[in-house]
Order: sequence, then structure tokens, then C-alpha cells
Amino acid sequence: MPLALRDLQAAFAAHITGADRADLVAAVAGDTIPAAARLSVYRHHVFESLGTALAATFPTVQALVGTDFFRGLARAFVGHALPVQPVLTEYGAEFPAFVAGYAAARDLPYLADVARLDWALNLAFHAPLGGRLKPEDLSALPMERLPSMSIALAAGAVLVSSRYPLDRIWETSQPGAANETVDLNSGAANLLVLRRLDDAAFVGLSEGEAAFVATLAEGMSLERAAGAAFQIDPAFELSTSFARLLAWEAFAALQ
Amino acid sequence: MNPVAGIGLRSPHLAEIGRERPATGFLEIHAENHLAGSPSLQAVERLRADYAFSIHAVGLSLGSAEGLDAAHLARVAALVKRLEPAWVSDHLSWSVGGGRYFNDLLPLPYTEEALDVVVRNIGRLQDVLGRQVSIENPSCYLGFTDSILSEPAFLAELVSRSGCGLLLDANNIVVTAHNLRLDPRDWLSGLPGAAITQYHLAGHAVNDADGEPILIDDHGSRVGDGVWALFAEVVKRFGVRPTLIEWDTDIPPLGVLLDEATRAAGVIETVLQAGGQDAARAA
Repeated sequence: MPLALRDLQAAFAAHITGADRADLVAAVAGDTIPAAARLSVYRHHVFESLGTALAATFPTVQALVGTDFFRGLARAFVGHALPVQPVLTEYGAEFPAFVAGYAAARDLPYLADVARLDWALNLAFHAPLGGRLKPEDLSALPMERLPSMSIALAAGAVLVSSRYPLDRIWETSQPGAANETVDLNSGAANLLVLRRLDDAAFVGLSEGEAAFVATLAEGMSLERAAGAAFQIDPAFELSTSFARLLAWEAFAALQ
Repeated sequence: MNPVAGIGLRSPHLAEIGRERPATGFLEIHAENHLAGSPSLQAVERLRADYAFSIHAVGLSLGSAEGLDAAHLARVAALVKRLEPAWVSDHLSWSVGGGRYFNDLLPLPYTEEALDVVVRNIGRLQDVLGRQVSIENPSCYLGFTDSILSEPAFLAELVSRSGCGLLLDANNIVVTAHNLRLDPRDWLSGLPGAAITQYHLAGHAVNDADGEPILIDDHGSRVGDGVWALFAEVVKRFGVRPTLIEWDTDIPPLGVLLDEATRAAGVIETVLQAGGQDAARAA
């Protein structure tokens, strides 16, 4: 009795992800290359090609751990979570959390944060460009309205915070970077990842600025965001920091 | 350059092609690389005025018994509407099951049931896009004992039942024929030549499977001699069609791709001059 196509495909899917399915092997024509060896070609390709896709999305993680270690990490992740749709730049949202729990990477406690930064840069790169808030948009508004306004971050803009000097780790891992040692205890990093015209990039924020941006990202008013920033850093200068963020086009245009 | 031979537009070459605008018959993109919206999609849009485009999908999973994924279909349709390409295609294979995507062109048994499934899925795709799509023969590493049709006979049935076109990949024929112990020239017999809209050419690798060579369609090298020979035979039998050089892993400098495209145009020219004109002109 032949397998119905739906059942054959379910068996194939199970086989690819590691469960040896005798019913599938029996449905495949083997010769001097046995059916199981033929099926392994597909199993191998699924894992390898998805590993390559993850390496493209998480290049800094791969640069830090090397291609061999990354291949093992990627294989483990693919076995844990296959893509749920065919756009591979959207595959890997769960990778940073997986890295955090990956026993073999326990000695690299900053690696999951690097993965979060790579993922944020990937999301920003594929975010719509959208309109951005310009200083003149605000000068056109009555001053008294500003404190109660909430301002959305531009599409793709996201704050990545780490207790490690993530910006330095990232910079020294880029192709062609000088071989430098980063002191992991040299301070936390608050990085604002942004979609720019032709790429994605990040800028470093102070603790106060990070609190300001994080509060705005929650939909709170400018007044609340400034309050959160002052609480973290009494020396927070609202006008200077706000001007810096506007210059980076960090906010979406007003609706 | 013969306008019939084109190349794949891949991200390492995007800036150079935008700047240099090299002479090539057309450019091909993978649909799934351009669905998320990014600076590269804007770069593609800027090239539309100067080049004909082919949108080649790799993830519609036309062979899935559970049917097409509506969300993915809608995204591909939006891209097709936005870029208005000259050609749209995907493969005779499946890659989605149970809500998971396998990133591979998985094989189908060539049965009546599979034929019904693929015809239904192609019909839905063509209805949503409002245009004909072309279906590509895949590289196969195995066959199923339940198959009752040969691959070319299955493709011929698809054409007749769904009205789709065919995208004939000469490298995939060589790979499949070697791996499944078929004669690539026999494989060509019985194909409905008039339905063929495009040809694909690519390189393959030779791997070891339990001590025996197995050919792997990796699109990572120059087109092999056996594929060039079969391509000449294909052009002689079916005539001239837009022909794509595919190269997706270990992507070389742009000049190498253009060089391969020139060679493809040269093969076509040689066939025409050697008396293959009848078939070629009839197409």
C-alpha cells in the first residue's frame, strides 16, 4: 500500500530532522547507493544550507567563535527550530536565546548579546525606510504640546543593551579589524540600532539616553521619557540628547 | 553579447551592476531574497528600466499535499506586481510541511495523486498572479518506488493540465540522470518543447555516497562539460530560449558570470550555424 502524499511528506520531514523512518526508506528506490544514503543527501543539505543562512544573519557571532564552532552551534539550532516560512532573513529570532543556553558557549557569556545585536541589525536592514521625524516638524508645533507628545522610534530602530562593551566587541570582530583584546569589564553598552538609507548601523547611547529611548519605545510621553532619563542620570541634557537622536533620524515621522 | 543569455543578480554584485550596467540579456532574482524589503530591493527597482527580469521562487512548495501557504503566496504576488518581471517560475518539488520550511527542493513521487496536488497548486498560483508560471525540473538524489510516470512525462502532464510553462534546467537533467541511472538524452524525449520558456545552466559538485559518486546541484562552479554538451542538444531540439547562468554558492567576481553567459550565447550560435536553425527558428 503506497503512502499517501501527505503521509510521505510527513515521514520525509521527520526523517530529515533526525527520526529514521523505515516506511520512508522502503518507499525510496535504492541500488548501489542505498535509499538511506540517498535520503541523507537531503538531510545534510537542509542542515548545511540553513547553517549558511544563519551565518549570513549572525556574521559577528561566527567571526567570534570561528566557522567550525558556528557550524555545530547552527546545526544544534536548526534541529531545535526550523524556519516556519521561506524568507531566510526572517529566520533566527530565537537564535540569541538559544545561544544563551548553549552549553558549549558557556565560556563566552557575551555571545548571546552579540547575537541580539546581529539580529537587530538584520531586522533594521530589512525594515521599511519610512518617513523620519525632522527638527523642523517639531518647530512647527506649539511648544506647550511637546511634553505630552509620544514619539515612535523609526521602523527597525531598537535599543540593544548589554553589561559587556558590545560595541567594542562588535568592532574588533569586523573583517579587517586590528587584532585587539577587549576588556570585558570595561563597561556596559547601550546601542541604538538604526536603518539607514543603504544599510543598518548602531550608535552608542549614554545611560540617560538609553532610558529616554526605552521609555519612548514603550509609547510614553516625552515628559515621562525625560523623567526616566533624569532618574538614571541627573546630568542628562534633554535638548542635547534629543538633538542627537533627531540628527540620527531615530524617530518616525509624526502621524 | 547575445541578448538571450542572462545572469542571476546576487547581493555581492548589486553595487557593481548598478554602477557598470554590464550588457546581459536579463537579470534573475530569487523571490525569497527580496520579500522583506531592504536597500537591495530598491537597488533592483532602479535596474528595472535597463534590464528584463526573471523572478525565480524557491519556496512556494508547489508539491505540498497540504497546499500553498497563503501568506507566502501573497508576498510573492506583491513582489511580482511591484517588479512586473518578464518571467515567473518555481520548481517541481516541495519544501514546506507541517508549518516548517526545509530550504531544499525535496523530491516528489511521480504518481497520479502528486499530479493532482501539483496541478491544483500551480492553478492557484497562476490564478493569484494572473499569469502563467514556468515549472523547473529539479535535481534529484532519489526516486520513489511508487512513481508511475517518468519526470518528463509528469512535466508534460502538468503543462497539459495546468497550462504552465516549463523551465528546463540542463544541469538538473545531468545531475538527476546520473544519480538515478537515466540517459539525459532519453530524458529530453517526450517533453512538450513549445511549453519551454527558459533554460537554466549551473555547475554541480561530485560527492561521495557510500563509496559511489553522486552529483550535487550546488550552483557553486562553472558549468561542466557534460552540461554544455547537453545544452547544445537541448537548443538543437527545442530552439533558442532565454538562458540563465546560475551561481549561488562561492559566488565569483561578476566577470566570471558574464563570461559564462557569453559562452552560453556562443553555444547557441554554434548550434544555429551547424544546421539547428529549423528548430531554433521555429521557436
